[in-house]
Amino acid sequence: MTRTINFMQAINEAMAEEMRNDPTVFVFGEDVRVSPFGQTAGLVDEFGEERVLNTPIAENAITGAAMGAAMNGMRPILELMFCDFSMLAMDQICNHLGQWRYITGGQYQIPITIRTAVGAGLRMAYGHSQSLESQFVQAPGLILVEPSTPYDAKGLLKSAIRSDDPVVVFEHKKLIFGGVEGEVPDGDFTIPFGEAVVRKEGKDATVVAFGFMNYEALAAAQELLQDNIDIEVIDPRTIVPLDKDTIFESLEKTGRLIIAEECRIRGGLGAEIAALACGEYFSFLNAPVQRVAAPMIPIPGSPILEDLYLPNKDSIIRAVKRVL
Amino acid sequence: MSLSSQKLLELYRKMLLVRAMEETHAKLLQEGKIQLMGHFGTGQEAVAVGVTGPLRQGDVLFGTHRGVGEFIGKGMTPKDIWLEYLGKKSGLCKGKGSLHLCDKKLNIPGLVSSLGADFSMAVGTALAAKMRKTDQVTLYFVGEGTCNQADAHPSMCMASLWKLPVVFAVCTNQFCELSYMCDHYPTDDVAPRAAGYGIPNEVIDGQDIEVTYEAAEKAVEHARSGKGPYLVEYKTFRMATHFTGDPGQYVNPKDKEKWAERDPIDLCRKKLLEAGVITAEEEQKLRSEVQAEVDEAVREGFAAADPSADDLFEDVYSGKGVL
Repeated sequence: MTRTINFMQAINEAMAEEMRNDPTVFVFGEDVRVSPFGQTAGLVDEFGEERVLNTPIAENAITGAAMGAAMNGMRPILELMFCDFSMLAMDQICNHLGQWRYITGGQYQIPITIRTAVGAGLRMAYGHSQSLESQFVQAPGLILVEPSTPYDAKGLLKSAIRSDDPVVVFEHKKLIFGGVEGEVPDGDFTIPFGEAVVRKEGKDATVVAFGFMNYEALAAAQELLQDNIDIEVIDPRTIVPLDKDTIFESLEKTGRLIIAEECRIRGGLGAEIAALACGEYFSFLNAPVQRVAAPMIPIPGSPILEDLYLPNKDSIIRAVKRVL
Repeated sequence: MSLSSQKLLELYRKMLLVRAMEETHAKLLQEGKIQLMGHFGTGQEAVAVGVTGPLRQGDVLFGTHRGVGEFIGKGMTPKDIWLEYLGKKSGLCKGKGSLHLCDKKLNIPGLVSSLGADFSMAVGTALAAKMRKTDQVTLYFVGEGTCNQADAHPSMCMASLWKLPVVFAVCTNQFCELSYMCDHYPTDDVAPRAAGYGIPNEVIDGQDIEVTYEAAEKAVEHARSGKGPYLVEYKTFRMATHFTGDPGQYVNPKDKEKWAERDPIDLCRKKLLEAGVITAEEEQKLRSEVQAEVDEAVREGFAAADPSADDLFEDVYSGKGVL
């Protein structure tokens, strides 16, 4: 049996279910009791203030505190409200979190889940809008997750909470606020890391789209069909580990690769996948790899300018047409 | 003497061990036998050993890059340390941690050499102790230099806000890396900062092991009894330079002379001899035993197996290899 829920509910349910299953799971972060967006709303009523702990506004220190709790028998779910704010915690995340297991020779694992909201287009301007997933890619020892549907959000978040490795989950604000709905199975389920999904099959080009960009890619696919261009859309679902098999099996079929993300283009997720394509799968390529991403500028406040900043359906269509 | 003879002798032996470890490290570097630079805590032994003295094995300790005092104090052995310092496969961290000593069975989760991040980790281990309803205490041992890191403040704030069982032990050794403390601090003491967060605090002599131990005992008991965090600042002097490659031209020799008069090991030896706990002859024998223990640890360390290329990609994730 399945039910239809929205993206926000999926996140909320995943946390509630895991908190019911495991007394060491707790929610930690700024304003998590009230929950400004709603992902953690209501958890305090069921689990009490001890397990839904409001913290001071101090991202690096609360990340360190969550890590310390994880070193000492707990499984914290840390909310860093906006991905922009996660940059204040990058000492903990990049210097320590993903490296702790290794430098302690495997003595200490850090089973922590960090949830953070990405995405522009909600008129929040500079400071509350960036998609910074690519900043985390260089840090060893992390698992990076970016769901685009309620099913993936719930299943991947549950996997993250159960994981003995540190996991960062990127939640796009348009999915949280947009009420994107989807079916989820009744009862418990998880989704393994490193398994991409083919959102739409096609033969002419492969579009690898991260997170919300899947919706732009699917819209692009519909429009391109009018020109008899049939693209395949792949949602990697996890950035690390990356399901190379699914991506490059598709490339072998289509010969053309476009990567769409909301991060900025320089050194972005697209750059990494393009490098893999050129280095390991060159013979599959019938055309240059295309990257669709945000430009190397701050996110402007003007709605007109912000819309110009964002990669979207049209930029994906243009990229596909450049190589066909 | 306020501590028992047995306790004082035990602490004295540990201080001797710490100094012998660091002197041996310096010698091996000079002889070109190792490359690992040392950040020694010479002159601070009474702080590191005294502050960890009252801890139970189940208590958590976060220590520093400066020397091995708190690690020896908590129960690490010279052999444990040398196997890891020499990067051996049988080291506590399988040779991956080097100076970042960590021993889970002693509840030493590791150390942060980029300084400060462990301030909040210590708050986190204390938070977990409270959530799990244990009587475990976390001791965060830190230098005054690191107390200027931004995380010091929200860490003290959270510890006090949630009444966590954590002791902040500040080892004020007058130097922050290659500068005198007065170049970094507008005040003489770190301790009053704790008052801003409602944390009881005191400034204590760091040279007399009985004083350092008893102050720590009081602070640990405070934390263990559910009264929340406590901060103790120990005043001492770093007789070593910041690291083994630092000639220390910025150190005023008069300061060294002044503090050398109250060397913590000399002070403790005097007490032991005067109280008749040991004779001069026994004391000499003890020193030889300690040096022999260190020498044997070094010998075993050099003889131990190195890691292999197969180990390079292990322990990154809970599963095999890298993702």
